[in-house]
Amino acid sequence: MRVQKIVLNRVEGDVNLKLCWDQNGKISDAYVVAYNYRGFERILQGKDLLDALVINPRICGICGHAHLMATVNAIENLYKNSSTDIEITEKAKLIRQITLCSEIVQNHLKWFYLFVMPDFLKLFPSLENEKFKPFVGEKWKKAVKFSSEIVKVIAIFGGQWPHTSYAIPGGITSEPLKTDIVDALSIVDRLIKYVEEEIFGMSYEDYLNVKDLEEFLSKSKGGDLTTFIDFCVKTGLDKEGQSYEHFITVSTVYPCINEGVIKKKKCKLNLKKIKEVKDFNILYNKETGYTYANGVRYDGLPMQTGPLARRLTSETELFLNLYRLYKDSYLVRVWARVDEILRILINMKDWLLKINVNEKSYIKPKDYKKLYGEAFGYVEASRGSLIHKVKVEKGVIKSYNIITPTMWNLGSRCNKFKSPAEKAVLGLEDPLKAQMVLRSFDVCSVCLTH
Amino acid sequence: MAGTKKGLKNLVWIQGLTCNGNSHSFLSINDTMLDVFLSNINILYHPMLTSEMEFKDVYKLLLSGKVKLDFLVVEGAVSTKKDEVFFQGFDVFEILNNLKDKSDYILAVGNCACYGNFPALYNENIKGLHYKFKDKGGFLGEDFKTKSGYPIINITGCPAHPEWIVRTILSLNFGYDIKLDNLNRPKDFYMYLAHDGCIRNEYFEWKVEAHEFGTKEGCLFYELGCRGPLTHSPCNKILWNEKSSKTRSGMPCIGCTEFDFPLRSKYFETKTNIGIPEEVPLGVTKRAYIMLTGVAKTFTNQRLNKKLEDTD
Repeated sequence: MRVQKIVLNRVEGDVNLKLCWDQNGKISDAYVVAYNYRGFERILQGKDLLDALVINPRICGICGHAHLMATVNAIENLYKNSSTDIEITEKAKLIRQITLCSEIVQNHLKWFYLFVMPDFLKLFPSLENEKFKPFVGEKWKKAVKFSSEIVKVIAIFGGQWPHTSYAIPGGITSEPLKTDIVDALSIVDRLIKYVEEEIFGMSYEDYLNVKDLEEFLSKSKGGDLTTFIDFCVKTGLDKEGQSYEHFITVSTVYPCINEGVIKKKKCKLNLKKIKEVKDFNILYNKETGYTYANGVRYDGLPMQTGPLARRLTSETELFLNLYRLYKDSYLVRVWARVDEILRILINMKDWLLKINVNEKSYIKPKDYKKLYGEAFGYVEASRGSLIHKVKVEKGVIKSYNIITPTMWNLGSRCNKFKSPAEKAVLGLEDPLKAQMVLRSFDVCSVCLTH
Repeated sequence: MAGTKKGLKNLVWIQGLTCNGNSHSFLSINDTMLDVFLSNINILYHPMLTSEMEFKDVYKLLLSGKVKLDFLVVEGAVSTKKDEVFFQGFDVFEILNNLKDKSDYILAVGNCACYGNFPALYNENIKGLHYKFKDKGGFLGEDFKTKSGYPIINITGCPAHPEWIVRTILSLNFGYDIKLDNLNRPKDFYMYLAHDGCIRNEYFEWKVEAHEFGTKEGCLFYELGCRGPLTHSPCNKILWNEKSSKTRSGMPCIGCTEFDFPLRSKYFETKTNIGIPEEVPLGVTKRAYIMLTGVAKTFTNQRLNKKLEDTD
């Protein structure tokens, strides 16, 4: 058996892929390896509870805002668990949701154009496809431009991106003006137009009514999603890259994301069934360990989380149909991420229009220094379900546990199952395709090891 | 030579222990500035961005001297011990030792690369390039100088602002001398305080405190932990994402451009002693500060006692 080590670039952080090839030239086993452990859970131990609001965004440069929201959610749940009143106005809730979703849009745009599309340049080099080339390609440049546009929405409400801590227990720190909301609306509108024209080749009203691949291709005037689908069909990536048919979404973002679990059939989410596995993490097991990350299991099963899981647990017709025909292939997994850009932008516009500036931004809760006990924080981040768990005594952190989406998708294996990403590359014959399939999970080694 | 562009200086961006926040901050620059940057500087390698060459090939070219390294940008904390921090399959310990004398300029971008920051808290081997927190002598030793004669240029911040990164590199590219402060940060940016240009300055002057978060009114320095008057950064001069800043959105400055950022705690409250902040604004004695604020307090500025929208 031949073993090959591939070092990935164009992902978040540093990740290696160890591939085992069988005699027929197919991948028979695969290991996703991540180093560079920083030890955030340890850093948080003994810290003042509110320090977590400042420290946790720094877990990840691209989805740090989601870590902030998970932290504030965990702290607010801590109040609730200890029967201490805490009230958050609709306004603060809406604004938090808007800024969290801005980060997701930013993420997906960069990921599709900066990480995914350049792979096809290698498979289909042509003058026409140079538009996807890093630094010089017009499509690459636009993606950078518009991803930096959308994070301006976070800056309007939260001061800056990356790494603000404007969401605090009890609400948000800012008191935006109506004209600030108009500013944010104009950015979202510009993004919607860009995405309609360049990616989908149709209006969002039309796109949201699309029911399957054929209908999309026949109705779209042509856009980068069409180009992408064409690339996938030509390379077989419309069918390849499938993994375990289990999906999880831990929180609901009304009205575009519904929580749920899919194991063959959709079932009700029971958060108690979530467990970390450590057998193959070097930190806990020097002999069998191969990576610095834990894995996560739901009821003992590996789960895929992220945009495709969100589409399936939300029972979006287009994706139920795509899944029936193409399963969780590379094509469908990537499409779900691209789809989410538009779906979220449309809702962001609604949420912005719903903000009542006359409501309070912040209602001061009781002193956190009296808090005891433990609580969870749940958030849908760019890459999927993010969970924080905090244990506190007198406002000091006793322990802090973080389960990132990437740990679900490409954390270490257990004795029974590989990670979903490791499973997805099995049987492939081309190392480039293996890299591409791994990228379809939107790799973030920074979150993976944290 | 592969990957190079005629007439353009080469930049290689590597990473140690990092959240990638500085890379994403860099990418959040406005498109005009990015265009100018890319037409002046050749990004030979960036782990997230470049697709033509793998790091091992770029590394080989640099080691052989076939390609000149003009700017080495380091993001993330590094280790003074082997086998602790990796980048693209290589030990960062080895990469830095091999490239430190080859690059004209080395920029440490973000507090992790500058001071070690959070990753350096519980591991004595983890450091910044030139410092571990406030102590000189990080990875490269106290007296290290690059080929150009500059020490490591520290662009601090968690993260660093994209304009601070890009304008520093372009200034060097255009041949300007850069004056550095005593922590090797470009003076052009770090001679300002986060306080300078804050839209709550009037409240500071008249000592009108904000007692709670979530309002436009009041200064965050007195009770809510703001480090603006103590923090070197032009956050309220060169706005974030061209829109705002933490203090403008009601969040206290947490002093993230300073070496002691991860060493402090309770970022949302001001440590006081009989009602007086333990740390007073830079450049002022405690005595002068107490007198001045006492005087300011006795003269009420009527405008500042109302909600902003109710003022005349």
